[in-house]
Amino acid sequence: MKAIHTKNLSKSYWFYEKEAGLSGSFKSLFRGKKVSVDAVQGINLDIEIGEIVGFIGPNGAGKTTTLKMCAGILHPSGGEVKVVGFIPHRREKGFLKHITFVTGQRNRLFWDLPAEEYFEFCKIIYEIPAAEYRRNLKELIELAGIGDILRVPQRKLSAGERKRCELVAALLHDPKVIFLDEPTNALDLISAGKIREFIREKGKAGNHTIILTSHNMADIEQVCERVVIINKGKIVCDEGIRELSRHNRFKKQIRIVFEGPWALSQVEGLGDIVRVDAQEVLLEVDRERAASVASRIFSHHPVKDIGIMDQPLEKIIESFFRNGEAVG
Amino acid sequence: MKQTAYRPHFILMITGKVVRMGLLFFFFQAVFLKVNHIGQWTYDHVLLLFATFQVVDYLMSITFQRNLSSSLPSRIRTGELDSRMVLPAHLLFFVSFEEIDMMDFFSFLPSLGFLAYVCYRMDFAFSLTQMILYTMLLVNALLFLYAILLIIATTSFWITQSSGLAVIFDNLMKIGRYPLDIFEGFWKIFFLYFLPLVLIAQMPSQALLKALSLESVLLSFVATGVFMVFALRFWRWGLTHYLSAST
Repeated sequence: MKAIHTKNLSKSYWFYEKEAGLSGSFKSLFRGKKVSVDAVQGINLDIEIGEIVGFIGPNGAGKTTTLKMCAGILHPSGGEVKVVGFIPHRREKGFLKHITFVTGQRNRLFWDLPAEEYFEFCKIIYEIPAAEYRRNLKELIELAGIGDILRVPQRKLSAGERKRCELVAALLHDPKVIFLDEPTNALDLISAGKIREFIREKGKAGNHTIILTSHNMADIEQVCERVVIINKGKIVCDEGIRELSRHNRFKKQIRIVFEGPWALSQVEGLGDIVRVDAQEVLLEVDRERAASVASRIFSHHPVKDIGIMDQPLEKIIESFFRNGEAVG
Repeated sequence: MKQTAYRPHFILMITGKVVRMGLLFFFFQAVFLKVNHIGQWTYDHVLLLFATFQVVDYLMSITFQRNLSSSLPSRIRTGELDSRMVLPAHLLFFVSFEEIDMMDFFSFLPSLGFLAYVCYRMDFAFSLTQMILYTMLLVNALLFLYAILLIIATTSFWITQSSGLAVIFDNLMKIGRYPLDIFEGFWKIFFLYFLPLVLIAQMPSQALLKALSLESVLLSFVATGVFMVFALRFWRWGLTHYLSAST
């Protein structure tokens, strides 16, 4: 059984466009322009149990809409979707006990009450046996490092602390499929790092399927094994994260640190100059030429250090957003 | 629980609600200084109607009113419904009774006291059958109001902002605390058959006043059943149109 299976999954909706200003408000009140949107267009996706998949795309690409259809929040306009054997929008109790959905934009915890109160609520609503609840809670509290803030009202916590509490609440029932929609959104570096560490640790066991959307490439690089890139409602790439960065269509980067005086003319024509910084220059060259270019620089110029690496994931993904084409 | 977190606010809100009920009581006293009857309704009958309305109104506001008329439409509009939809609970039950209004629970106690006072004025001259029927019609009234508020809340899936409809109904509903005899012609027919506000307090009160036929009792249950079936189907259909909100 697949953790997630979709076939031609689509979602369309419409809304009324509103012009800015007072006159625009009155105008749209009586003659609003109806705009239809094809948010998701025929997505085919198969995710195995235990996979950690990064679902990425620019704003409005359709990634959250896809996730919400998989979580049973939205009804698909077309196609089919199955999650751990269930049809999500039927929202059967058995299905809902197998999944969890966390978004970085909203907080599900009780604003005026401490996290402990919400954990108790989860215990009841997910019908978690007492012994299992105690065991899971202890493990998750340690993992999230929230032992000292359990009784503090949510409104008194920082965004990062709240998010960690929410992740604990979301995982108390030990769901098979974990949907994380931009979980590190608006968090500082340290908090985001802690959340990533938390997700990575949960994913290690191999019995949770994690689908993660994020605009933060560090989330994807450090947590995911596979990346699905979506643009304008269509999947444009679906590859293992390592395979993706080693794909032939993407260039290599050569970082050179010169010893003593040097001139830009020494590297001009060898590749695209990405960055120049005092003694350091960063070049991008075709993959097959990388070794020869590096060797030529090393043998012709005084070089203190030289390194060859893949293009950063961020840049690779950017190219999909620009082109909107499938990887070939 | 959230409301009890802020003590001064909690106490002031309860005081305000009790004062509001007291003012309405004085209003009826003032009216009956000038007249002896409103239609077939004497002063004691009107007090019973008013007390019954208060009980229904408070039971509704303690349980589902705020959840359906304000919280649910807001959650549909802002996408906060998402987090409720992924919980393994009966969604409609959960969103209808998510927040029990403790303020109104404490304000409800004086209303019960007022109902007891009215019954005392009437010498508790009620049979067991009348009291059972009264209770059944109170439950029927709550189910009717639930259905109406659910229909209004469900419109939020399309019109996004349904608080205008909720305000209209809230004002219309208050008509239920007056005897229907104050209306004539179209409005009487409207409130009797199309939006049967008589179900809220008048029918239960009439059960205690021995003024109900078996047909009218059955008709009350059937009317509520029709509204409820429609409301539940409308809700299920609305859910398929939920669009959440963009993140």
